[in-house]
Amino acid sequence: MKTRWLQVLKPLSPRARRVLGSLSFVLPILLWAFVSYVPSVWHPQVLITKPGSVEYLEPGMRMDKDAFDDEVASAREDNKPPPEGYPSNPIYLPAPHEVAIALYTAFTTPPVSQDGQWLHQSLWHSIQIIFWGFVISSVIGVPLGVLCGTYGVFARLNEPFVEFFRYLPAPAFGALAVAILGIYDGPKITIIVIGTLFQQILIIANTTRKLDVGLVEAALTLGTKNAKLLTRVVIPGILPDLYRDQRILLGWAWTYLIVAELIGTTSGITWFITLQARYQHFANVYAAIIMIGIIGVGTDMILALLGRRFFPWDRSLEKSN
Amino acid sequence: MSRKANLGWTMGLVLGLASIAMRPATAAPLTVGYSDWPGWDTWQIAIDKGWIKEAGIDLTFQWFDYSASMDAFSAGKLDADLMTNGDTLVTGAGGGKGIMIMLTDYSSGNDMIVAKPGIKSLKDLKGKKIGIEVGLVEHLLLLHGLQASGMKEKDVKLVNAKTNETPQVLASGQVSAIGAWQPISGQAMKGSPGAHPIYTSSQAPGLIYDVLAVSPASLNAHRADWMKLIGVWDRVVHYIADPATQDDAIKIMAGRVDMKPEDFKPLLQGTHLIDVAEGKKTFKKADGLTSLYGSSKIADDFNVANDVYKKAQDINSYIDPSLTNAQ
Repeated sequence: MKTRWLQVLKPLSPRARRVLGSLSFVLPILLWAFVSYVPSVWHPQVLITKPGSVEYLEPGMRMDKDAFDDEVASAREDNKPPPEGYPSNPIYLPAPHEVAIALYTAFTTPPVSQDGQWLHQSLWHSIQIIFWGFVISSVIGVPLGVLCGTYGVFARLNEPFVEFFRYLPAPAFGALAVAILGIYDGPKITIIVIGTLFQQILIIANTTRKLDVGLVEAALTLGTKNAKLLTRVVIPGILPDLYRDQRILLGWAWTYLIVAELIGTTSGITWFITLQARYQHFANVYAAIIMIGIIGVGTDMILALLGRRFFPWDRSLEKSN
Repeated sequence: MSRKANLGWTMGLVLGLASIAMRPATAAPLTVGYSDWPGWDTWQIAIDKGWIKEAGIDLTFQWFDYSASMDAFSAGKLDADLMTNGDTLVTGAGGGKGIMIMLTDYSSGNDMIVAKPGIKSLKDLKGKKIGIEVGLVEHLLLLHGLQASGMKEKDVKLVNAKTNETPQVLASGQVSAIGAWQPISGQAMKGSPGAHPIYTSSQAPGLIYDVLAVSPASLNAHRADWMKLIGVWDRVVHYIADPATQDDAIKIMAGRVDMKPEDFKPLLQGTHLIDVAEGKKTFKKADGLTSLYGSSKIADDFNVANDVYKKAQDINSYIDPSLTNAQ
């Protein structure tokens, strides 16, 4: 049977899903490889291999192609040995294989300092920061969001301020968080909470509002009282959507990690990233970024699988995954 | 979700919150903040060799981003922080007073103004743009250099840029020079071939002293411990200076910042470490850059002139030479 690709709102065949799913990763990587390995694409600089007669050059330096061509021309004119080199991209864009190697060696390199940490220890520390930040944010944000979505009183009392506060830059509260909670994990977790909580309240309140009015009306007709309406109708009704919101918000929390970990003592994966960036080891930086991506996607996939077990009746979950 | 699962979740949360809340309550060793500067990576030697414990001091070093360490010190969460003398005045003016009890080093080349090829001296920068983080040490260095070559700040155009980003700023070609410290200045030269330093801190030694600034409360309560720490510092400086142990010293310091020892070595040459004997001399009151007092006065004038803070600081109240002098 011929596969028809463009059908509105029709599920794809499992095979097509697999192919497209892997393509979504393969295409960007191919693009990256294309830019990195085909010298005629971009490559605005020259990586010097031999400095020739140019005093200020050293092997391993990168310079702009135009400047390099000028130096070669002027050396030729003076009958001096010209500098040599090959086209390269700026140091800020390492090639895929360099990042792949860095991804491996980053884990196998032992810490040199005695109070240093292995990379997996740093990563684990970061994961804990995210976990606690997200848990604390959820403990406040989920109930408050559900209440705001259910009762107009809570919504009016909270939402105008929350709307305002969510625009404030979370990292700006770093110094205050340090002053109150010390220099270790407390202020970092706080930044994650500030960054996540206010979005969480609004998103969950909106999700709650989208609950099918028919369900509530039916329950009211059957004589359900306020508290029971909340626990037996509203919450079960929005649970699958709430779960999906939480998955999205967890990703949101991750985006605050780098700024959070720079507050107080430098720790976790951020310590690794900032240090490697300062010394321009960008292969290591990208390796670390990819690790964060893998952890994030991995967690999300596990949560999606769990979601299907928790809420087998929810059809939109199946569609999206 | 079942009730039981809910309960487990709640329990986990409560325990977690409790463990976070309890953490700061455990024993309180003295805490010192340090950050990425060749003159401070040196402390890693004392840490790795166990010299601090050996001296009988209950003290830990915590690694920070430089400005984060000043925030933590201002907030009273650190007993001491490693800062420049100028920045000690800045945090002090903001209420987080620190007393400079010992010197670690002065910059002798690691801070620099790096210019594009073709520009030979500061004089050539007349009317040109310079990328610099306004109000920070390189700004001070630039002003000092301009003054020495008979120019004024008005003769050049300053473009405010984060020091960390100056390599890209210089490479963009939109400025003629930048100001940065090592290792950033080194990266800037690597990224723009032909770029070279036209003025460095080696031409103004003592303009930027690096010090250990201790909070007055901690200094009062733990004076004996801080005194012992100065002894440890002397040991560190001599371990680095001694040709027999220098390689090991460099290996440890390079390890702190994940560099190769051979890459780290040149950075050390741009940092003049100050042992106790030299520290005593620098603590003598005098005008000019050979004295911490004179240097701090210049930094204070700079800070007031650039609106970093409004009121001139009382330099004497920031400096306590007695601990170094008692060694």
